[in-house]
Amino acid sequence: MAQDTGGAKDAGRWITAAKPDYTALVDEQQVVTQRYGMVNVPTGVWIDERGRIVRPNEVAFIDDRFKSFTKMESAPYIGAIRDWVQNGSKSVFVLSESELKARLKPQSADRARADVEFGLGEYLYQIGKGVEAIPHFQEAQRLDPDNWNYKRQAWALGDADRDYGTNFRKEVDKLNGKPYYEPHKLPEPKKRN
Amino acid sequence: MKHFLILTILITGAATYAAAQTTRTLVYDGKATEVSVSAVAADHLWITTSDLTRATRFKIKPQGVCRDELCFPLPKNRKADFITRRGTIDWFNLAEFARMIKQPFVADQKNGVWYFGPLAAEQNGYLASLEAPNFTLPDLNGKLHSLTDFRGKKVLLVTWASW
Repeated sequence: MAQDTGGAKDAGRWITAAKPDYTALVDEQQVVTQRYGMVNVPTGVWIDERGRIVRPNEVAFIDDRFKSFTKMESAPYIGAIRDWVQNGSKSVFVLSESELKARLKPQSADRARADVEFGLGEYLYQIGKGVEAIPHFQEAQRLDPDNWNYKRQAWALGDADRDYGTNFRKEVDKLNGKPYYEPHKLPEPKKRN
Repeated sequence: MKHFLILTILITGAATYAAAQTTRTLVYDGKATEVSVSAVAADHLWITTSDLTRATRFKIKPQGVCRDELCFPLPKNRKADFITRRGTIDWFNLAEFARMIKQPFVADQKNGVWYFGPLAAEQNGYLASLEAPNFTLPDLNGKLHSLTDFRGKKVLLVTWASW
């Protein structure tokens, strides 16, 4: 699910190179980011056969190519997915209704305003008014400062240092070693005979 | 001289009408629609009731402003804030309506674009049901896929980006 304002122009070559045997979609209005309240990529959501969320937004690295940067191993998450596939609703990784409701929160007023500012910026960018999109992207970033999707996407559409006075590397350095994208702690898989 | 004066008044009248009635781009449900607007003011968006339905699928009904099963009654003492008739045309103040139903929106006055986000009830509705919000998006070949197409299967939804 490519969250790319540039659409197939930006995401297409990666999908083609991956030769996916799964469904790969392009989301140039970042509809999924907005509807699910996501703040970074990669984000994973587990949805059961009835269309019900059983694990909401969380870090979803499916290999270790960014390990030197994120300090995260992908193996525990992949193991959890395999456990869910094998054990379905009995998987220890499937969250209870009360756990889900504790993690899922209503959208804040600031996030709602950030979403429309970002959406307007995307629209202006897509009709060729990239410079005039910048104030709207900046406002979205101000309203939802922890949203890396809204920062990194906007920075990638032009010259981040020139247009926003910063860039991804500088912003990560400001974290002073704090996790850039912190995963939820996964339970130990049950031992099965 | 008299004819010249009348012609001048006619031209001025036409110019005033043109300035009062112009177009804007309305982005609603992610779809852009050109609409006629009247009485342009920074915080109001008066559009024709036919454009309202064309751009948003909302219709004015006796019970309120409705789309599918959803209806919002208009406060009787403030009806003029939402609906007005000028000449033969009925106009609807979409910005005031959005404020009333707490729908987020933002305008770029310079480019004449108004962008409306989802209704709060639509955005947060899944928190009670835990049903994953549906979406319909294209693959690289332009074929559309909806989340609901995958009912009966487990879905691992993973987002990524080229940036």
